[in-house]
Amino acid sequence: MRKSRIWLVLALLVAALAVVAAGCGGDDDDTTEPAAEDTTAMDDDGTMEPVECTASIGIMGPFTGDVAAIGQEQLNWAKFAVDQYNTEHGTSFTLVEGDTQLDPAQAATVAPQFVSNSDIVAVIGPAGSQEIEAVGSIYGDASMAFVSPSATATNLTEDFDTFFRVVPTDADQGPTDAAYMAEELGAMNVLIIDDQSSYSTGLADSTTAALEDAGATVTRESVSQDQTDFSGLVSTVADDTDVVFLPWQVAANAQLFGNQLAEQGKDAVIFGSDGLFSPDDFSIAGSYVSSFAPDITGIDDAAIQELVTAFEAEYGDFGTFGPPTFAATTVVMEAATAICEGGEEPTREAMVEGIAATNLSESILGQPISFTDIGDIQDATFFIFQVQDDGSYQLVQ
Amino acid sequence: MDFFVQQLVNGVTLGSVYALIALGYSMVYGILKLLNFAHGEVYMIGAFIGYFVLTALGGASSPMLPVAPLLILMFLAAMLGAGLLGVVIERFAYRPLRNAPRIAPLISAIGVSFFLQASALLLFSAQFRTYSTPELIPFSTGIEAGPLRISLVRILVITSAVFLMIALTLLVNRTRLGKAMRAVSYDREAAAMMGIDVDRVIVATFFIGSVLAGAAGVMVGLVFERVFHFMGFVAGLKGFTAAVIGGIGNIPGAMLGGLVIGLAEAFTASYISSRFQNLIVFGILITVMLVRPTGLLGSPVLKKV
Repeated sequence: MRKSRIWLVLALLVAALAVVAAGCGGDDDDTTEPAAEDTTAMDDDGTMEPVECTASIGIMGPFTGDVAAIGQEQLNWAKFAVDQYNTEHGTSFTLVEGDTQLDPAQAATVAPQFVSNSDIVAVIGPAGSQEIEAVGSIYGDASMAFVSPSATATNLTEDFDTFFRVVPTDADQGPTDAAYMAEELGAMNVLIIDDQSSYSTGLADSTTAALEDAGATVTRESVSQDQTDFSGLVSTVADDTDVVFLPWQVAANAQLFGNQLAEQGKDAVIFGSDGLFSPDDFSIAGSYVSSFAPDITGIDDAAIQELVTAFEAEYGDFGTFGPPTFAATTVVMEAATAICEGGEEPTREAMVEGIAATNLSESILGQPISFTDIGDIQDATFFIFQVQDDGSYQLVQ
Repeated sequence: MDFFVQQLVNGVTLGSVYALIALGYSMVYGILKLLNFAHGEVYMIGAFIGYFVLTALGGASSPMLPVAPLLILMFLAAMLGAGLLGVVIERFAYRPLRNAPRIAPLISAIGVSFFLQASALLLFSAQFRTYSTPELIPFSTGIEAGPLRISLVRILVITSAVFLMIALTLLVNRTRLGKAMRAVSYDREAAAMMGIDVDRVIVATFFIGSVLAGAAGVMVGLVFERVFHFMGFVAGLKGFTAAVIGGIGNIPGAMLGGLVIGLAEAFTASYISSRFQNLIVFGILITVMLVRPTGLLGSPVLKKV
């Protein structure tokens, strides 16, 4: 009796597995056929042919930590880019995530993991300039191309051969911000406070030089990113200070600083760099924030607005850190696809060359993308936003 | 003069918070000779509890209760929650190691600290939360005398901290529980032989220390507004430093140490530069350790000859 029960159970199991397999096989058939039809339709339109191309793309970012809002936005836009591209082109790119918490030490742990993963042919990120300094030589030695959607410290592309970026540098941000402060805001006395990161001190230096050239008086101060109280520093802000420039990476710190400025009755206007561009964390009305990317919802381009709608439907609101990540991911995928179309497998060395040769006539940023010989994006500019009373950011320049 | 008074207020505000955290370290060290590195995370949980109570009751922009009862409720919830967390930590992470070599509970404490940080990250995500205090208590309320501005929030924080420290001092010096705590801190075995329930005293110590940390969490949320999973690390470090400067295991010492650090930070930031704050604070720690290793109010360790 026992043996027959065992056989009965086994038979039922096999039957169940057969049903599941048939169901899954049926689903696969169902999903592949429409996809094939879609790409065939694209063939008929003469726009895109399906390309067999498989590769992994690493993405490094602050997915947790002080600036997780930025990291999550970057990650979501990268995922969105990969999904869109794979659907459109029939490619099979996958993302491999590496959380750095904007910490160079963590970035230096993630980078070797990516290097030792032979499937990864290129990397998006890291986000912070100080992280790139930590991983630049690791990726350089491995001939791994890495494209940052947000690191703006000027020297990075000069120092690292396999580094690219789709955003302008602080060599532009400093003078752009200084010009706005001096000309539009009429600032004659500016207090610049850096947060001791290499991004911040570099940008503070370039802004100081530009402001002094414009005839303004600049006072420098410094805080650490771990600082929890700025009241002592705020109380030293002179009454004749017109603008306090905060080239900080942690927007929530700037919000606290702004609150304490108001608490102590100081009238100085806050002007933040791109690190402060975070409507969730920084919303001091009347402040200014510069950004390396435009507000793409305002670009008059149907294809871009279609992407915006699709992204918002899936992931919700976004700021300005996401679209450059979409652009960076697209650059990498386009380079890999070009290699595959040539009948080759994308290797890391080929990807470096391919990315360097990028020449996209249009992009989600509303401008073409190509790189200088050291890896900087050509013809990019900074944008300036003002924080409104309701906490939203409005483009002013 | 106004500028000096402003810095004094800034320093006392900060010092009050550090003192409350330092008290937890000192009390536990006094009883168990254990550095409870998870204490900073208890403070962080207290801050989160205060935030969630505030949010549940309408948030700072449209609270369902008047400000005073709302604040009291936030404090009570945070203090009770933090206190219970402290008791749970003692029961599961330290009591089993009561008779193990001293390094074991220390490692356990570090492990609990990381566990709580990671748990907070998973449960609450990495997003900064803000108390949005100016919407609850506008900056304009408070004392204003020329350039001198002391907001009501800071006054509340300082008076609450002083009240809690007085209450603790009275508890330790005037109650039976306090007497038992002092006895256990002098000699645990002798106290047990005198009929004192040592386990109960230890649990009470952890509860009271954690209650103070929870209160500190809400105070920090009100004054500095930001609440995030990693906030306990730096605060815990500063609290520990304050406890050591004042004399680890010494309750008045913890209060003094907190005040010293708070004032050092405030005056350094305003009279020298913000960039030297940590340098000065830890420089004070090293100096005190070199000149008076047991801390400012610590008793010299007797050596049996």
